[in-house]
Amino acid sequence: MAGSSSVLEDGSTLSRIDRALFRVETVLALFGGLAVFGLMLLAVASVGGRNFFNQPLRGYVDWIQFAMPFIAILGVSYCHRLGGHIRMDILVGRLRGRALWLFELLSTLLVLALMILLLWGSWAHFGRSFDLGRPLWSADSSIDIGLPLWPAKLVVPVAFGVLCLRLVIHVIGYARAFATGVERPVAVPLIEDAAAQAAHEAEAVSGFEEDAR
Amino acid sequence: MTSIEIGLWVTAGLLALVLIGTRVAFAAALAGLVGLVWIFWSKKGYDAGELSWAIAVAVKTAGQVPHSKVSSQELSLIPIFVLIGYLAYYAGLTKALFTAAKRWVGWLPGGLGVSTVFATAGFAAVSGASVATSAVFARIAIPEMLAEGYDKRFAAGVVAAAGTLASLIPPSAILVIYAIIVEQDVGALLLAGFIPGAFSAVIYATMVIGMAMVWKKLGPPVTGFSWGERFAALPGALPIVFVVLIIIFFIYNPFGGDAWGTPSEGGALGAFLVFLIALWRGMRWKEFKSAILETAKLSVMIFTIIWGVLIYVRFLGFADLPGAFSDWIQSLHQPPMVTLLLILCAYAILGMFMDAIGMLLLTLPIVFPAVIALNGGEAVTAAESAFGMNATGCAIWFGIIVVKMAELCLITPPIGLNCFVVAGVRPELSVQDVFRGASPFFVADALTIAGLVAFPAIVLYLPGLLLGL
Amino acid sequence: TEWNVSVWGKRRAFTEHIEKIAELVSEKTGGEFTMNISYGGLSKNTENLDGIQIGAFEMAQICAGYHPDKNPSLTVLELPFLGVNSLEMETEVSMKLYEHPAVQDDLARWNATLLMPSPMPQYNIAGVGDAPKTLADFKGLSVRATGGIGSAMETVGAVPTSVTSEEARQAMDSGVVKAVAFAPHAHMSFGTIEPAKWWTTNLNPGTVNCPVVVNTDALAALTDAEREALLGSVEEALAYYIDFYNNETMAKWGPLLEEKGVEQITYSDEALKEFRAAAAGPIAAQWVEDNAAKGLPAQELLDLVTGVIGGGS
Ligand code: NA
Ligand code: NA
Repeated sequence: MAGSSSVLEDGSTLSRIDRALFRVETVLALFGGLAVFGLMLLAVASVGGRNFFNQPLRGYVDWIQFAMPFIAILGVSYCHRLGGHIRMDILVGRLRGRALWLFELLSTLLVLALMILLLWGSWAHFGRSFDLGRPLWSADSSIDIGLPLWPAKLVVPVAFGVLCLRLVIHVIGYARAFATGVERPVAVPLIEDAAAQAAHEAEAVSGFEEDAR
Repeated sequence: MTSIEIGLWVTAGLLALVLIGTRVAFAAALAGLVGLVWIFWSKKGYDAGELSWAIAVAVKTAGQVPHSKVSSQELSLIPIFVLIGYLAYYAGLTKALFTAAKRWVGWLPGGLGVSTVFATAGFAAVSGASVATSAVFARIAIPEMLAEGYDKRFAAGVVAAAGTLASLIPPSAILVIYAIIVEQDVGALLLAGFIPGAFSAVIYATMVIGMAMVWKKLGPPVTGFSWGERFAALPGALPIVFVVLIIIFFIYNPFGGDAWGTPSEGGALGAFLVFLIALWRGMRWKEFKSAILETAKLSVMIFTIIWGVLIYVRFLGFADLPGAFSDWIQSLHQPPMVTLLLILCAYAILGMFMDAIGMLLLTLPIVFPAVIALNGGEAVTAAESAFGMNATGCAIWFGIIVVKMAELCLITPPIGLNCFVVAGVRPELSVQDVFRGASPFFVADALTIAGLVAFPAIVLYLPGLLLGL
Repeated sequence: TEWNVSVWGKRRAFTEHIEKIAELVSEKTGGEFTMNISYGGLSKNTENLDGIQIGAFEMAQICAGYHPDKNPSLTVLELPFLGVNSLEMETEVSMKLYEHPAVQDDLARWNATLLMPSPMPQYNIAGVGDAPKTLADFKGLSVRATGGIGSAMETVGAVPTSVTSEEARQAMDSGVVKAVAFAPHAHMSFGTIEPAKWWTTNLNPGTVNCPVVVNTDALAALTDAEREALLGSVEEALAYYIDFYNNETMAKWGPLLEEKGVEQITYSDEALKEFRAAAAGPIAAQWVEDNAAKGLPAQELLDLVTGVIGGGS
């Protein structure tokens, strides 16, 4: 199971588009992370309000449910760029060159098709909750305090749209690699051997001890 | 073709996608989507004119799942648990724990190994993820062990194995996921992980001491700490104790009064405390930002598997595969315990190739109803059941066992993620070294699982206090 | 014809009319028309209307208050203190409302046709700690009550607190809330009766309205015999449901309260009148204002409901 990989960069157009999109993805992921932090503060406020002021936060559960799609989905493309979604590369990891790029291309095309369909499906889901003719444009609201749900539902097609762009870059990258037969193409996640991959995993938690002092 | 047959074909397709390297979350979503199209189209007798209708209905049904399934209060525990872990690194809690453990139990045979086990168990109480835990301790504990002349494989094996404790000892992302799939009380499951986690840690420690006594060169004791030094090491580790107590008190008050809140609130308060410590220890925007981004990345990774697999599960609901599997399991002519052990063996094999969360999400929707049926159904009393517990008890007991199984898979070849991580952090160690060093703990884990199966009270005592089982 | 039916939770009093109607329909059509009832496998409960509109399944149970903006017209039946005091009356007023064109239009956005209600008794409050013997005692009481019932509790100084129904028991054990408002069957199935020390017998602040709906196209696609079998079974299914609720669920409820030694609090007529004056009028007026803004004939719907209740009692 691989949980990360590396992406090569150069001055080509594809690589520049890759990096530009990565900046957008990073901002979205940062919003998702800040939403986690906000969730934590919300809970602290709720506990504090209840115990010290006998004034619990009205609609606490509604707010959590509202925030969850931001946390869970907004960063989906960021995670994909970093090769963070889990896969089993025990078989493809043994392939080299064109054979490898063919499999990667095939699998990326399948995922792109899936994500385009889910973009449609999640947009329809958003559409059912959104009505310009109604107060707050809301055609679906939460159970307790009647929060309009369409912004939370809109998060999904937005994140999936960005992921579709990301997948298009990967399709082009793999197709070019297949055509040229290069060993290490740019702008696509490369499978690493176990050691490099684990070093990558560990990088996430490295330097903390030193930095923290 | 019956819907059961469609279910089996689609499941086979899912496995094929995973094998050719499609990311598990997307493979499951794709299989589920195709399956939904198939089911809806079959309802219309495969009429060519109805295919576009079937696709539209399937796409819209699947398109609901990501938003609808992640919008849950219980699932909000997962990002909070992930955040606690990352903030804890910045708060310097890991190093403090290891130092304290070393000064208190280092004098035992294999003392640094024992210290690693207990420090990891302590860190597990603020960290929700096994892999991150192993990565951290590989950096802290292995160099010290090597400096004291410990066998490098032994040192690596201890770290890889002890890291798995993080998923049993609460907080644990994987226990939350289990609780949600099987619709059980999250607090009860988190509480249930405590004693088995501690039990598992004690077995690891015993194993380390035993091995160090038999093979003297594996690891010598580390002595010479004064009582003053021992007590001086405690304050640094104290925040962990506070966080653990907060989380426990928000689930269950051991002194018999009211608990202080819900698990979600306890987790958030714990995270807030660790955040304050990290600030005090010098965390600034740069470190905060990377903690936030890492939290976002790991949370998204987990949630993508969740919604991807739940699209597949939605398809299973339309195909009614879980019901069919459950009927089949019940029709087997053998003692229920034998069937249960066979299921566990299947998990052991599957786990050699899959990661823990993906494996549980994919299998539980089918396996869990079958296990409950095996025990005697939803309404069974403890006295009449096959395993001597009611349905709620069985759900919790099976959950802890299965999570322990999934954790065992993190140290088994060929794909044991914890071993890869440890080898990656220490250039002097090959993956083979780590796997070999971890193999004795494979035996320890098998013993632990046997203990949990034979004595369900180890699992059920604490949640029983909460739920009155 | 085979229909998929999406409900949630486990089989319970609340779903017995659906089980019954499936049985009746199959009998009457000689097995030609069957229903496949799925408890949670096809959809999340708050997305059942979406599934109906998509056409993923043909029949579903929904609760209006779970998503007020999806079905604003139905939430009139969830206003506090409408004065409904029996399942029969709840059924009658629901059926009358479901016939109103504005309500049918509201559901038509979801391609849904209202089939029958799942009448529930009035919510009442089970709690721990000191029992609120008078309305003044409600001041500062943290109570799990959502929507209109929450607003009603707020008018007497209680503090409505959000917890999910699954977490209600734990919230009560942990002091997050002191009291929980549920119908009796829910107090039993969610376990909130276990720690409870007291129970209000006649506060009756309202209930939720949970109709069973069918996909309009699927209904139209049935053969005449099948449609007749379905629509002609509603009355019998509801009668079975009400009988089941009254004789199975409520028959267990009283003895359970006795056995657990739960203090039963009955308020005087004056106290209830005072509560109603504080809560019912203003909340209903607010409802009319909000829903008129959504283009509903809100006052007319409210008058319809109060008219049926006034005539029936
Ligand atoms: Na943990
Ligand atoms: Na493995």
